[in-house]
Amino acid sequence: MNLVTIKSTRSNLLISTLLASLLGLLSLQSAAFDLKGALKDAVEKELAPKPESTQANANKDGNTTTNQPAFNWKNPSKEEEIALGREIAGNLLGAAPLVKDAALQKYVNSVGRWVASQSERPDLPWRFGVIESDDLNAFAAPGGYIMLTKGLYRKLSNEAQLAGVLGHEIAHIVEKHQLRVLQKQQLLNIGAGFLSDKYAKDNQLVSKAIGSGAEISARSLDKTAEYEADRLGLSYATRAGYEPYGLADVLQTIGQTNKEDNSIALLFKTHPHPDERLAALSDAAGIRLDAVKEGKTLENRFYQLKK
Amino acid sequence: MKPKFLTLKQIFITACCISILYAPLSAIAETGSALKNDNLRAEPYADAKLAGDLSRGESLEIIKKQGAWLQVKTKKNTGWVRLLSVKRGAASSSNQTSGALAVASGRAGTGQVVSTTGVRGLSEQELKAAKFNEAEIKTLESYTLSAEQGKQFAKAGNLETINFANLTSSESTAK
Repeated sequence: MNLVTIKSTRSNLLISTLLASLLGLLSLQSAAFDLKGALKDAVEKELAPKPESTQANANKDGNTTTNQPAFNWKNPSKEEEIALGREIAGNLLGAAPLVKDAALQKYVNSVGRWVASQSERPDLPWRFGVIESDDLNAFAAPGGYIMLTKGLYRKLSNEAQLAGVLGHEIAHIVEKHQLRVLQKQQLLNIGAGFLSDKYAKDNQLVSKAIGSGAEISARSLDKTAEYEADRLGLSYATRAGYEPYGLADVLQTIGQTNKEDNSIALLFKTHPHPDERLAALSDAAGIRLDAVKEGKTLENRFYQLKK
Repeated sequence: MKPKFLTLKQIFITACCISILYAPLSAIAETGSALKNDNLRAEPYADAKLAGDLSRGESLEIIKKQGAWLQVKTKKNTGWVRLLSVKRGAASSSNQTSGALAVASGRAGTGQVVSTTGVRGLSEQELKAAKFNEAEIKTLESYTLSAEQGKQFAKAGNLETINFANLTSSESTAK
């Protein structure tokens, strides 16, 4: 068993080293994001979802060089995922603090928690926050941390719309979209020898590992990841008993916002255009929503922002 | 001669009054465009009689909404189409939420409140420069609710779960 473990570690090291030499020509920044062709495939193969039962072995893999438990980038545990998300969310809050309105935060957590309970990961400690920003955007960090801006909240007019937006972000976390981007980046960094010995020893300190700070939570994901999050977000909100069109309503509103407006620049940069998202959602829904008739919008209890 | 002139004048004034009275109503008639090629139906049902078709980008007028359907008017036809097939708003949109969407959402007239007090930006650069804030993350975590609390909240709003399998990308053939 040990032999097998060591052997697989070695083959991983070999792959990492190969990646490192191939990456030598690229800059540090582009190494993380401009994954192309074979490189991308190799890393994705490394990160292919594994059955839960292999997790114990995988944990040992990460510990061959030190006695301390290192952050297992290949197959992070739920706890590691939450620790990582906490770091990212904390950085985001450093850029824009929570809106000081406990009733608002409680309301958003109530809606979000209920929608998250309809997802494939109801057991995560889901938390939601509205942050002080006039931008229109929402963010998800691994492990169940979700934030939306006050600017976006202001554009909403009922609970079904809020449920749709939160559903989209919940789906990113359920599908580990951001986590996988980070994993790729880290495995490539480690493989490329960008981390000093000291850094490597401390690598359970997640804060150092995500040097780019909160920006990861707004980074572009594959278009397919955004479309998937739209489909799942709509599905979760619909299962939760809401009218299914909340997310689509919000996409309509965003689509009518001037693209030149600074408040929306980052959202447009990191997501497909709302029209494309609506059309994709429409194609995916087909006739499925015809039968959904009892969904609620609950504008009557939608929490109104204080002026 | 003179009485006739007065009558015309009266008609003119009446017409003006009517148009002023109805102006806010006609403004609600929202414009939109087709997000994709789709059929128009005579009634808001999948198996209702065909009433024409829509081609992607075609502009239309939204008459009303019923469940999953919108009644729309194109240059040629009037009929029902699934609401996800329609983009609301004029083709070249302004930066304001317009028409029935704004009216329905109670946002008409509130304007865009711009408050910048204590607000830092969320551009990529600013996100990269952000420093971890322990106090704020603790506050955020203090709001965490249990699944049971979520359930109670749903119950209070008479929200009931329904069976609905996740949408997948491969269902585009179902029409």
